[in-house]
Amino acid sequence: MATIATKQSEGNTFSVIWSWITTVDHKRIGILYFVTAFIMFLVAGIEAGIMRMQLATPGGNLVSPDVYNQMFTMHGTTMVFFAIMPLNAAFFNYIIPLAIGARDVAFPRLNAFSYWTFLASVLFMNFGFIVGSVPDGGWFAYAPLSEQPYSSNQGMEFWSIGLMLAAVSSAVAGLNFVVTIVNLRAPGMTLMRMPVSVWMFFVVQILLAFAIPVIAVGLIELTMDRLFGTLFFVTSAGGDPVLWQHLFWIFGHPEVYILILPPMGIISDVLPAFAKKPLFGYPFIVFSGIAIGLMGWAVWSHHMFTVGLGPIAVSVFTITTMLIAVPTGVKIFNWIGTLWGGSIEYKSAMLFAVGFIAMFIIGGLSGVSHAVAPSDYQQQDTYYIIAHLHYVLFGGAILGIFSGIYFWFPKVTGKLLSEKLGKLHFWITFVGLNLTFFPMHYLGMNGMPRRIYTYATEFGWDNLNALSSFGYIVLFVSMLIFVYNIIKSYKSGEEAGHDPWDAPGLEWTITSPPPVYNFSELPVVEGRDPYWIVKRRAVAEGKEIPGPQPLVDPSTVHLPDPSYWPIFTSVALLILAIGFMIEIPVWFVKYPISVVGGLLVFVGVLAWSNEPPTKEKDH
Amino acid sequence: MQGMLFDVLIWVMAIVFVIVEFVLVYAAIKFRHKPGNPLPKQTHGNTTLEVAWTIIPTILILGLGVWSVQVLWDMEKPPVGSDPLEIVATGHQWWFEFNYPDAANGKSITTANELKIPVGRPVSLSLESDDVIHSFWVPKLAGKQDMVPTRENPLWFMADEEGYYYGQCAEYCGTQHAQMKFAVKAVSEEEYIKWVEGYGESPSLSTEAQLGQQLFAGKGQCITCHSSAGPDSEALVQARVNGFLSGSAIAPGPNLTDLATRDKFAAGIYDRNSENLKDWITNPDELKSGNYMSKLAQIYQTEDGNANLTESEVEALVEYLQSLK
Repeated sequence: MATIATKQSEGNTFSVIWSWITTVDHKRIGILYFVTAFIMFLVAGIEAGIMRMQLATPGGNLVSPDVYNQMFTMHGTTMVFFAIMPLNAAFFNYIIPLAIGARDVAFPRLNAFSYWTFLASVLFMNFGFIVGSVPDGGWFAYAPLSEQPYSSNQGMEFWSIGLMLAAVSSAVAGLNFVVTIVNLRAPGMTLMRMPVSVWMFFVVQILLAFAIPVIAVGLIELTMDRLFGTLFFVTSAGGDPVLWQHLFWIFGHPEVYILILPPMGIISDVLPAFAKKPLFGYPFIVFSGIAIGLMGWAVWSHHMFTVGLGPIAVSVFTITTMLIAVPTGVKIFNWIGTLWGGSIEYKSAMLFAVGFIAMFIIGGLSGVSHAVAPSDYQQQDTYYIIAHLHYVLFGGAILGIFSGIYFWFPKVTGKLLSEKLGKLHFWITFVGLNLTFFPMHYLGMNGMPRRIYTYATEFGWDNLNALSSFGYIVLFVSMLIFVYNIIKSYKSGEEAGHDPWDAPGLEWTITSPPPVYNFSELPVVEGRDPYWIVKRRAVAEGKEIPGPQPLVDPSTVHLPDPSYWPIFTSVALLILAIGFMIEIPVWFVKYPISVVGGLLVFVGVLAWSNEPPTKEKDH
Repeated sequence: MQGMLFDVLIWVMAIVFVIVEFVLVYAAIKFRHKPGNPLPKQTHGNTTLEVAWTIIPTILILGLGVWSVQVLWDMEKPPVGSDPLEIVATGHQWWFEFNYPDAANGKSITTANELKIPVGRPVSLSLESDDVIHSFWVPKLAGKQDMVPTRENPLWFMADEEGYYYGQCAEYCGTQHAQMKFAVKAVSEEEYIKWVEGYGESPSLSTEAQLGQQLFAGKGQCITCHSSAGPDSEALVQARVNGFLSGSAIAPGPNLTDLATRDKFAAGIYDRNSENLKDWITNPDELKSGNYMSKLAQIYQTEDGNANLTESEVEALVEYLQSLK
């Protein structure tokens, strides 16, 4: 990070750090997202490791039941909100403006605010570990278990208020990218010429903008119950626990697509680049993505088949859930169509992309079996579900994200990741994930419920659990290889050049790493796969392939100035959140620190709106 | 029907899996880059093919979907004309309470963690909860159904063969969710009637057991949360729940009237024998950490969590419990 920084701003350590704190450059924000999210990915992975080691033998006693419950709560929450979502956000930030030929996002300071607020939510929720109040209500926090008196320490406050911060971050980021994609495309970049990655990112931003408010409503109600004595989900006073589940899953199922659509988009860019032919059935892939985005709103109750909604609701959600398999299947067939007849170069990025398809087929098929309600009555809340969701989120999302990292790392750093280590990383990950998650299908069908810290040997689950725990160790090793690869290649990797893969996208027409202004001259897009069009025309005409855009003096390009108001406002929000954890009744105010935080947020937003985007002298 | 649906589902999944993975792997290997390959043909798609692989899965999926819905409605209610045994099952952190409003001949019964049913007769359950959400699941007899406070969820099943069917809470419900088990014990009609008739009849107690009985009501204060002489009224259970919610040292505890007829105790996790019961009474937190008995009962508010009872008092209590048939 530091070296990238010095390339962009000369100066001492303080000014380098200051330049990162006040940055509004989407590329730097993307890097910040990536580093933070990847660290959280490893943290959540270690939490998973504690669970796997506990379950490696029957009657394991590595941790107490309470600690085990905290581990699966934090593993799920962290992986979803602090690892996969922000890893996707790293791609949104870094890639969208480059791929549509823009100089930055529509609201660069809002973008910085999204990142700092995300960081605040990570720190806030994980602070529970330091004060010994770790959330333990599950990542779904079903009321009334998440209410007093059943969850009596401050853990669930860390969870609900922490997630509200993350919700603020995601909602504004979603709106920001919608505006960016709608308004800032380069000349000629019509919607149907956009790379599929950008299309899928676009669908996800819309999902975020609509889904986040739903969970926010639930979180506010839960927090009010806990702090101010309201009774939304307090069953002993007649509150409705099923209301929470509806709010959670109306958000929660679109959330599944918020996690998986971006990696689907990523591999839709990677597959053609290495098969050396355009994506098969571009309109089908785009429209199936949109269809998934729409249908994702009509399936949430399949998470609640056993709640007792009655046979009519269950029937409806059986059919809608079944149907969502169709657009997903269409995508898989079209990806295979892209490979068909190609000339496939197996770089690491491509291995991960093909691995994604192979694993996602398994996750998709087990998903169909949950849609069949009579069979879900047996599968619900068993290890079969854990197997399914990890084939979708690890075999799918994480492999797709790795594919994207190998694909774009050279663009971000100017260095190639080691292919040798990359292939080793892929194969060990591939073996490890199947060893870890495949046995869980059988465990679930043999009756092993989820979220149990121990099991007795009489049920015959010992061997498969041991195998699964061994698989975890394999995965752990593969992650070490990846981290080593990143560090080593970043320091002394091969120079990448501007277009190492002979790729079709606009981001490959500029130097690696890209200059601060991205494009000195806005590109004119002639069709889908614009750089291929240019390169192949040159070859056909026997001309030299055009190199990267020439660099210019950044001060001649109109760019927004750095600003410290975004981080100021995020810190103020954090103070507001912390205030709710410390009760100091002053007169009729229960949480005075929050009042101070709220005022600071107001000051931050006011100052931010009065700050001109660039100093007068630039005009 | 249900079994056939599962079989067909598994086969459809298996066949689709094999075909799609095979085509994927075939394409991935066959079309790999070889030195000297020219640029491949730049195809953009094939509408006929794409429409076909949209429509065929839609038909397949809708067929499965409609069939699932049919099966779903078929399994909703016990067969018409059968005379199901009505039982109210209530989830508690972390054990199951079973109430039979009319077990046989108008007699009502409250028991815990072991659901005795006559073989070959449908059982119709009303699933409820007094605290958080639990889920009632006996894998070999029926799919799971949640026990949601404020709701009464119906579930029915029938055991075709005598036996001991393992059950387990399937919705995360706090510290000891993993150790919230139970069993359905399907017995012959005669044995079932024998159990119903014997329930709550004053057992003959040895001298030691009589001492235990006094401790149960006296020094041990067990009776605050556990009944040992007949069914619990709804009002009694509600009083215990309200006491718990208001922070008093009381909570609903398993009814022990027929404890000595059960194979296991502590929500299906320990074999019911004198040695285990003695360990349990001495220090329940060591056997099942986080349980409310250790947290709330006066006799366990000691430095090491051991009961404030002498060894012979514990033995007398065990003797009493072991005679509750």
